[in-house]
Amino acid sequence: MNTQTAVRSQNSWLALPGNVWRSIFRNPLPNSDYGRSSTSFTNFFLHIHPVKVHRHSLKATYTWGLGLMATFLFLILVVTGILLMFYYVPSTTQAYDRMLDLRGTVAFGIFLRNMHRWSAHGMVAIVFLHMCRVFLTGAYKPPREFNWVIGVFLFLITLFLSFTGYLLPWDQLAFWAITVGTSIAGYAPFVGKDVRFLLLGDSTVGQEALLRFYVLHVAVLPVLLTGLITIHFWRIRKDGGLAKPEDEDTGTTSPGAVKAAPVEAPATMAVAAGAGAGPAGAAVLQKRTFGIQGLVRGPLVKVGSIEDRTLFSWPNLFQAELLVFVISVAAILVVSLFFNAPLEEPVNVMHPPNPAKAPWYFLGLQEQVSYSAFWGGVGVPTIEVLLLLLVPYIDRKLAGVGRWFAKERLLANTLFTTFAVINVVLVIVGTFFRGANWEFVSPW
Amino acid sequence: MIKNPAKPTTDGGPEDIGRRRMLAWLSGVGLCGSAIIAALSNLVFIKPRATYGQPAKFAIGKPEDFPAGARISLDTRRVCVVREGDKVAAISTTCTHLGCIVSVAETGFACPCHGSHYDQDGTVTSGPAPKPLAWYQVTLAPNGDLYVDKDNEVEAGTYLKV
Repeated sequence: MNTQTAVRSQNSWLALPGNVWRSIFRNPLPNSDYGRSSTSFTNFFLHIHPVKVHRHSLKATYTWGLGLMATFLFLILVVTGILLMFYYVPSTTQAYDRMLDLRGTVAFGIFLRNMHRWSAHGMVAIVFLHMCRVFLTGAYKPPREFNWVIGVFLFLITLFLSFTGYLLPWDQLAFWAITVGTSIAGYAPFVGKDVRFLLLGDSTVGQEALLRFYVLHVAVLPVLLTGLITIHFWRIRKDGGLAKPEDEDTGTTSPGAVKAAPVEAPATMAVAAGAGAGPAGAAVLQKRTFGIQGLVRGPLVKVGSIEDRTLFSWPNLFQAELLVFVISVAAILVVSLFFNAPLEEPVNVMHPPNPAKAPWYFLGLQEQVSYSAFWGGVGVPTIEVLLLLLVPYIDRKLAGVGRWFAKERLLANTLFTTFAVINVVLVIVGTFFRGANWEFVSPW
Repeated sequence: MIKNPAKPTTDGGPEDIGRRRMLAWLSGVGLCGSAIIAALSNLVFIKPRATYGQPAKFAIGKPEDFPAGARISLDTRRVCVVREGDKVAAISTTCTHLGCIVSVAETGFACPCHGSHYDQDGTVTSGPAPKPLAWYQVTLAPNGDLYVDKDNEVEAGTYLKV
């Protein structure tokens, strides 16, 4: 086809659908490496991915897809949450009736509520597991220290989001769980009482608390979480993708990557390299590779004879992500079909259930509180969170990064696993082994 | 710092840089200070000055409504009115452990949630409760009504003579 006929055929009315399609999607389905790379960076939804991704990062047994799962669960939560907002009223006189309406009259109401509830529980669990994965593979080591810190905040916000959502059905479970939970906050020294009062907007759980929890749950915390997730993802890219062992790092992380040391880099590339190296500076400069696809557009450049251990994101990474997405959605759909989200009797301020329990992920905390109110509820959790925040600044040796249970990290991994297991055991004890008056019971 | 090429070289001495630094520093402090004050004002905003729930100070009736020896728990108000002889007091029925409502028991108060027990004066006798139950100020209004003020905690054993 010569150029003239090509132009004429693009101007005819028959070409309209094709023209519209091409105006939206800048690239046809790729069949060349050039097409595969431009598909990744000319598509808004794909451009947060690198054009090429390291084989090590694609191994399912390295990440288990946990970070992606957490993201997809959050996506499900946003979608179902917005849908539920069409029917929900944050009022002590109406909230519970709206729950019954979801069950009785709203099309798919109960199903959406199930999806929302189970995704929320799932997200708490998956974010925790993701944190364990990152720790046990040593992925928080420089230069990823601050992304770990952001991750800790993401975990805390996830817990708080789930906690604020817990009150909204305004049933007995919700009311007493929040009464117990906010009382734990009241044990914090100096600010405890004020925090509790700010949170509840009153001295007891009531209309003000419901409204406040609603606003936190549907606006403040999701926006905060979205912002931090964005930074979390952005930093993954800027830190050179997922953490991987030194000996895996002989390949490149992106097209046109330059091994800094042997190549005489032009001035612009030196700037990029310096920015990539961060505060670690020259020492890292010797062994790191730097992606410069931000500077170089057009055909791929590969400098030097570096063994390429990377694959194109299209289709390798996107297939993997799609698989995790489908698994996450399918799991939530199946669970929501078979199990209904609990809804107890409407709030009766006079009659607390016995035992009154916080949401399951706080039952470890409640179990600790039953031994000592201050140490269990405030002291120990604060120390644990501070340790989590500081761990990448305390433990900086780079040995064993990017491998599960690396021998070099035996001490750190053992300590972390001990803490994690203790907390899980406390949650299990609080959930299954505590009955009326918080006395030991056997679940069998 | 980038030098301004248009600037005459005569006043580019060290004092000039000092002045620039000073101005930059002051603007920085001003901007950061404003940002911090703005952020803190949000805390002031979300701390309610009036609460829309139950008032902290409320009438509980005439002294005659509470015969000597009575221990009447007003669950909606979360206080127990205690009368001994001609003395009246109000003890909180909110468990100091995790905020459940304690019920009046023969030995004092018992919490259904986590098994805390209190004696007649609200002192903890067993269970995880860390503090005794609060006592609130009771006053007699000119119209003869007794008022309980939950904003005013008083020492245990403080009674109002009626």
